[in-house]
Amino acid sequence: MAKPQEPFFVGWGKVPKALKTFLALSTASFVISFAVAAFAISATQTDTGSGAFMGQANAVGIMKVDPYPVLHVIESDKFEKGDVVLLSGGGKRGVFNRAKNLDGEIVQLAGLRMERGDLDGLQLRGGMRGLSVAENPDPEFEIEVEPLGRWKLAGEICDGKCLTGAMRPGNGLAHKACANLCLIGDVPPIFVSSGPVEGHEFLLMAGADGKRLGDEILDFTATYVEIEGEIERRGGMLVFKIDTDTIRLAK
Amino acid sequence: MSVKYIPVQWNANKWKYDAALIVAVVAYILIYMEVGTPAAGLERPLDNLILRMRAFGTCAFWMLTFILCIGPLARLDKRFLPILYNRRHFGVLTTAVAFSHAVFVVSWYFSFSPTDSYVALLTSNLSFGQVLGFPIEALGILALFLLAILAATSHDFWLAFLSAPVWKSLHLLIYPTYALVVAHVALGYLQNSENQTFAFLLVGAGLTVAGLHFLAWDKERRVVAATTDWVEACRPEDIQDKRAVIVALSKEERVAIFRSGNSFSAVSNTCAHQGGPLGEGKIVYGHVTCPWHGFSYKACNGRSPAPFTEMIPTYNMKLDDGVLYIDRQANQPGTDVEPVIYEVADNG
Repeated sequence: MAKPQEPFFVGWGKVPKALKTFLALSTASFVISFAVAAFAISATQTDTGSGAFMGQANAVGIMKVDPYPVLHVIESDKFEKGDVVLLSGGGKRGVFNRAKNLDGEIVQLAGLRMERGDLDGLQLRGGMRGLSVAENPDPEFEIEVEPLGRWKLAGEICDGKCLTGAMRPGNGLAHKACANLCLIGDVPPIFVSSGPVEGHEFLLMAGADGKRLGDEILDFTATYVEIEGEIERRGGMLVFKIDTDTIRLAK
Repeated sequence: MSVKYIPVQWNANKWKYDAALIVAVVAYILIYMEVGTPAAGLERPLDNLILRMRAFGTCAFWMLTFILCIGPLARLDKRFLPILYNRRHFGVLTTAVAFSHAVFVVSWYFSFSPTDSYVALLTSNLSFGQVLGFPIEALGILALFLLAILAATSHDFWLAFLSAPVWKSLHLLIYPTYALVVAHVALGYLQNSENQTFAFLLVGAGLTVAGLHFLAWDKERRVVAATTDWVEACRPEDIQDKRAVIVALSKEERVAIFRSGNSFSAVSNTCAHQGGPLGEGKIVYGHVTCPWHGFSYKACNGRSPAPFTEMIPTYNMKLDDGVLYIDRQANQPGTDVEPVIYEVADNG
């Protein structure tokens, strides 16, 4: 008895009847596999935490530009007195050039507030409406500075704007190039410690001399690293003055 | 087949094929963004553009994985040949999805900066000397560049212009492209994420692609090459009517012996179009028809019917003691050869 002929498909012809069921099942399986993969991957995405833009905010406080511009809040409609707020401009820009002549001055700020845990940020509005000398300063406020000694910490170097909430997620390897771009644009670098330091998870980074860092940290952003340096409490924020020679990828 | 180049030679099967592709891609993107992500229970929503870059990026990876599985699947089971038929549209759509992913990345991660977006893309991460933090963007750019070359040259014009061997070699770039995409994902999103699901899918996809290729390769290598001038092929009864038997003359050279009723002819097994296995085809409307894209040839001279001009080599055959033998010396493409006539008892 002759062997039955296998169905033969020609693209420009009709689909053989014997293949129709197989192809229909294959097509359905193909589409279903896409749907299942999409759900499986998306439904198990890692939570990026609480950081986000939180609306408009106004604040009055003392401007400090070393190592990076921050505001020590005296009064605000959104921040607490004593909070330290990281300052940034629009996009991936810092505000050092706008703030450098106001170091130590009492200033009034307006902009978009960002918040992640105890880390506060403010994206300043443009011009005088975003940053100007305060009209009725409160001279009583003082910034306490306390050295906390030498530490060796493990964690991740991030840019202070995306991390605080300008991007979700604003950390991690996929975000590394963006973080570098922010740091190149003078956005303050933040060290996210794997364990709390004096109750703080986020530390503003500086060079060993207390000044701004250069490109030497760019190879180490967004990865898990170990760094040694001095820690100093400045008002409500810790500053991690790192020895850049000690940075290495953590195991 | 066409005697002139037109952008797409549409037919009903291509419409259905493309419709299935578009349904799958749209389902993937919508489910990723509108069903799966809300179900993830995130404290706050992800940035929309980051969500899009993830959805389109993972979709492109999934599509590329399927594309690489089609070839070996069709070698292992002929019922998958219809999926091979329009694979180039699958490739072009994959390139478009991957390109969308890249646009979202550039317009979010590399914008809003004093540095030009494209300068930033190439210069903001230069940590090429380390695995952790390696510039995954470079891998993605290279993969997208290769995909664009493959998509741009997928038309038959380029096949004719470059010649089939060069074109086939060029399109083997799909393998390094896939490796680049795997590295792009593994060194970036995967290495940083706690998302075990995607890790399992990535590893599973890679193993599936490798496994299917191994099985197809294993099937091919079992063919034993001939060593004499007249190569014993098979008995005429072994060939089904309108079908062929493939005989290996060497590792590279194979012959397809076709039967049409009581008439037997031997032609090269390699289609002049994309190198498809003609011996897995069928005689349709009196012509040997390739199972990949339907290119047709006369069995007696290896010539495509007019007005087409494609030609393949033919082979002389003889019948000795009820067995078909092939002369291992191929004739020039398009050479007339008298068919061997043998009355087959089963005629079936």
